Amino acid sequence: MLDLFLAELKRSWILLSRYATETMGGIIATTFVFYGLFLSSRYIAGPGIALGDRLDSVIVGYILWTLMLFIMGDVAGGLQDEARTGTLEQMFLTPYGAARVFVIRAIGSLSIQLTLNIVIVVAIMLITGSQLAFPPILVPPFITALLGAYGLAFTVGSLTLVFKQVRQVQSILQFGLLLLLAAPTETWTGSLRLVGWLMPIAPAAGLLRDVMARGLELDGVRMAIASLNGLFYFTGGVLLFGWAERLTKRQGRLGGY
Amino acid sequence: MSILEAHHLYKNYHLKGKVLAAVQDVSLRMDGNEVLAFLGANGAGKTTTIKMIAGLILPDQGSVRISGRDPHRDPWALRSLGAVLEGTRNLYWRLTPEENLEYFGVLRGLTRSGARRRTLELLDRFDLTHKRREMVQTLSRGMQQKLAIAVALIHDPQLLLLDEPTLGLDVEATETVKTIIREVAAEGRAILLTTHQLDIAEELSHRVAIIQNGAIAIEQPTATLIRQFSGTAYTIELALGLDSDRMSKVEALGGVVKGNTIYVREPEIVYEVLDLLKPLPLIKVEQDQASLTEIFLQVIHPVNAPSPSL
Ligand SMILES: Nc1ncnc2c1ncn2[C@@H]1O[C@H](COP(=O)(O)OP(=O)(O)O)[C@@H](O)[C@H]1O
Ligand SMILES: [Mg+2]
Repeated sequence: MLDLFLAELKRSWILLSRYATETMGGIIATTFVFYGLFLSSRYIAGPGIALGDRLDSVIVGYILWTLMLFIMGDVAGGLQDEARTGTLEQMFLTPYGAARVFVIRAIGSLSIQLTLNIVIVVAIMLITGSQLAFPPILVPPFITALLGAYGLAFTVGSLTLVFKQVRQVQSILQFGLLLLLAAPTETWTGSLRLVGWLMPIAPAAGLLRDVMARGLELDGVRMAIASLNGLFYFTGGVLLFGWAERLTKRQGRLGGY
Repeated sequence: MSILEAHHLYKNYHLKGKVLAAVQDVSLRMDGNEVLAFLGANGAGKTTTIKMIAGLILPDQGSVRISGRDPHRDPWALRSLGAVLEGTRNLYWRLTPEENLEYFGVLRGLTRSGARRRTLELLDRFDLTHKRREMVQTLSRGMQQKLAIAVALIHDPQLLLLDEPTLGLDVEATETVKTIIREVAAEGRAILLTTHQLDIAEELSHRVAIIQNGAIAIEQPTATLIRQFSGTAYTIELALGLDSDRMSKVEALGGVVKGNTIYVREPEIVYEVLDLLKPLPLIKVEQDQASLTEIFLQVIHPVNAPSPSL
């Protein structure tokens, strides 16, 4: 299993370095955005608002947002690419089971993406001399939010397997993600609060906001709820993927047709 | 226990309200050291059958066992199976041969060091070592196919499925692939190969199964099949024409003389004719052989050319 993870990590890294111009373009664009965020360090329109308007919150919010978009594109887009280039069926000829391989692959490429982001941010901090606080307490809600994103990504991945074409869904999804991230569910009361708990990613985003923008402690109960929420969507997404795999195999349409 | 046992496979496709019976009651069994050629016209159901064996298409009915394991229930069955699928690349074009082999080795259950070892072995064996650092998309079609077969063998599977492995290859690459198939089978593996290039099946296969409209029309050892469909006639070709004395004697025995060629219907009299011909120089003595092409056409179009009773 560790070997599989390392193999996926290596594959992702090689592919990333082979699309050198695109990768460099991406890194430069990301650097500029971060640099802009650092310079203004004020209220910035766009995804940065999701977690508050302090520099820390803006940066963390932005990173979370780009990672989520990356996860979506990576899982669903990756499946579509494999189907197009003719390696998808080979991916299913694995004793590990395809769903597991795709999860491990997604975690591998996310690790690379996260590392790149961190390197860029640290570099900018060194250059500008700005300080950025990322208290370790943020790690659990951050991971929980990513779990939710994986759940959604595998849901879209399942749709990709079944319907083959889901590019249109992707832009709707980006907008939806922004809503989930920005919805102030932590301030909702009554039955709306329950809705907030059930929405994917939202509880984790609310926790991040509380800790970062409002300077509150991490609330144990709400952390538990956010974890359950993340696990629920992650498990749901992976189970759905297994279902889509069986359906597609029954229809004989795994490789296309 | 056989390497492959497929029992009574059925598959219907539902498309726009119509039902297409793509595979009907197909059973196959294979042991090691064997090449089975799976022949059939386009749309006969070859790919569907192969993919049901590989666990990529779920059969409506029937069962598959690969070294005793069911690939539809137990993914470890895939440890004993390698496949090169039809009409797709099977490889990452943005990776090199070396990287493809190593990656797929781990994906098929090897450790990283195990995959590394097998990669070096296979690169050497398939004569790809000098190309190991070049991106697959820059290789020739023949080399890509060779690599695809190497990748399918990376985890040392007992069963190799090859769907149209020589499609779109030039003559030289076809020869290379044929050599590989022969060698790989000689290592003790079972190779199930679909093709509609019948000469290739004739040269390579130990057994032939012809599938027609989703059902197996005939399944025989290749040699037996060719013998069954061959006549018992012989052709004797001479270097020079026959003198009239010998000609009348040959004709008295039942031979037919046309120019420098003599046709003999019954095998029993071949030697008597040869005695008569002694010491004239011969060019060849040959039994009329049916080719797999003729057999195939007879089996799938029995109306045009009635097949001998089987
Ligand atoms: N997923 C599918 N859905 C509907 N029909 C299919 C599907 N796959 C194959 N078919 C049809 O089933 C028949 C058998 O196809 P296939 O097994 O690919 O044949 P072969 O490989 O012998 O050419 C063909 O008529 C083909 O068009
Ligand atoms: Mg086919």
